[in-house]
Amino acid sequence: MFSSKPSNEKLLKVFSGIRCLNKDQLPRYLDGRLTDIEKHLVEQHLTDCDLCYEALQALEQEPGQEKYQDLTGKLQRYILESIEPVSHVQKMAQYTKKEKTKESMLTYFWLFAFIAIGVSSVYVLRGRMRNQPPPAPNKIAAAALPDKKDSADIPADQQPIVTPSDAETTPHHTAVTTKPATATTATPAVPRPPLSPADSIARAKAAALKAQQRKATADSLHKAAALQKQDSLRKAKEAEDKKAEQKKTEQKPPEPKPEPKQEEKKPDPPKKETPAPEPTNSDEYLYKAAMVYQQQGNLSEAIDRYRRIESVSSGKYVEMARYQLAICYRSKGQMGKARRMFREVIRMDGSLKNSAQQALDSM
Amino acid sequence: MHQQLTNLSDKELISRARKQKDREAEGVLMDRYSHLLVAITLPYLHTTPPPDPNIIFPTLLQRLSASLKTQTIYKVNEWILHVQKGYLGKSGKDTPFYPSRNGRDLLHIENKVDKAATNIIDRQDLAVRLEQALQRMNADDRDLITQFYLENKTFADITTAKGITREKLRSQLKAAKGKLAKLYMNQGYV
Repeated sequence: MFSSKPSNEKLLKVFSGIRCLNKDQLPRYLDGRLTDIEKHLVEQHLTDCDLCYEALQALEQEPGQEKYQDLTGKLQRYILESIEPVSHVQKMAQYTKKEKTKESMLTYFWLFAFIAIGVSSVYVLRGRMRNQPPPAPNKIAAAALPDKKDSADIPADQQPIVTPSDAETTPHHTAVTTKPATATTATPAVPRPPLSPADSIARAKAAALKAQQRKATADSLHKAAALQKQDSLRKAKEAEDKKAEQKKTEQKPPEPKPEPKQEEKKPDPPKKETPAPEPTNSDEYLYKAAMVYQQQGNLSEAIDRYRRIESVSSGKYVEMARYQLAICYRSKGQMGKARRMFREVIRMDGSLKNSAQQALDSM
Repeated sequence: MHQQLTNLSDKELISRARKQKDREAEGVLMDRYSHLLVAITLPYLHTTPPPDPNIIFPTLLQRLSASLKTQTIYKVNEWILHVQKGYLGKSGKDTPFYPSRNGRDLLHIENKVDKAATNIIDRQDLAVRLEQALQRMNADDRDLITQFYLENKTFADITTAKGITREKLRSQLKAAKGKLAKLYMNQGYV
């Protein structure tokens, strides 16, 4: 197509825009000092451009080109001079403007950033306050001590009631296993006090217990029938426990995780009031260690420990240790020793007297 | 900065001067046409009483600068001529500048050609249509255009061959070009 009509493309140059003659071209055209192509372009442009054609004519009539050159130079200098300061000022203005906008943008940025931080911190704080229970950590620690004691103590006094004829398992397990049986009969509304978060030791123990519980469930089933008769006794106790519990819950913050075993642990509040001579920590520790052995089924070791507590410490721990000793003997099948221990407990006339009496009666 | 601006087209300089209030662009534009302004003003300097060039040129520049901000300018050369004539002509009035209908046709085709610069298909299309328009012109005009544009003959060649003045030749060429533009534009109606 191109080769067949080469003239076609050439036609376009009729309408091609050509720039006006520049300062040098004008006199050179007059003098005929242009190349052919340049001359053709100039003439092409002259056809269209009145300005250039008039300029050409005016220069042709002018005798010399000095005036033209002189005036042109002057005018161009004038223009340049008038631009220069203005452009400088303009640049300065532009620069300052840019800086100002940058500054203001920065200000806005920080403003927004601070607002965002403030809002988010308020949000986070609120979220944390909602999730966290009110007491401060040191308060919890203070509250944890009595709690721990309670949770440790309670199973001790409660155990005999629940498992009078338990042969080898610890009272804890039986209590749990019996629950389903008893629940059907009498105790649907057993209070479930929440667990205090601080007694992690008790919980750890509980975790260890669970393993044993599973073992124990098998042989504890047959004891369920025997236990049912104690429900009535237990209920009576629970009624008085509830009152104490309320007192306790007022002091304690509500705990998130209720534990099923808490049921038996709870009813000890009378105990809590009795320890007027503050128990030494070492006594409590020894007692708990012994409890651990007992719960693990290492009865002889537990008996040794309880003996030591009985001989060394004083106050309620002696009573508790004796009581536990009785339970251990009973578990081992040494009924005579167990009876003697229970009687001793009853003779001490402490808070465990009733429990011991009941245990003795049921033997 | 100045160097960069000198490479820009008139259109770009005008738009800069307007939109960004760039005095530098305006100055570059004036500088580009200053020699032509001087040349066309030269005849007026010989009149009696001779006007002072120190007054005439700054005033002219001010007028140009003022009208640059308000006028629609398609072609700078036409605009400058119009402003200069308005200032130095007999009336001395500052009449606004409107491009003629003929001028706008020319401008339209020029823009089309400019746009099709590297597009082969567009260029082919344009060339074919121009050829068709050329065929519909009368023989004299077609000859003139063929000789001047396609055969690259100079003014001098044609004037000597035809025995007419350069002025006459130029007006004939201009008229022929106008006709061609008109034919091209009205092709759809034929």
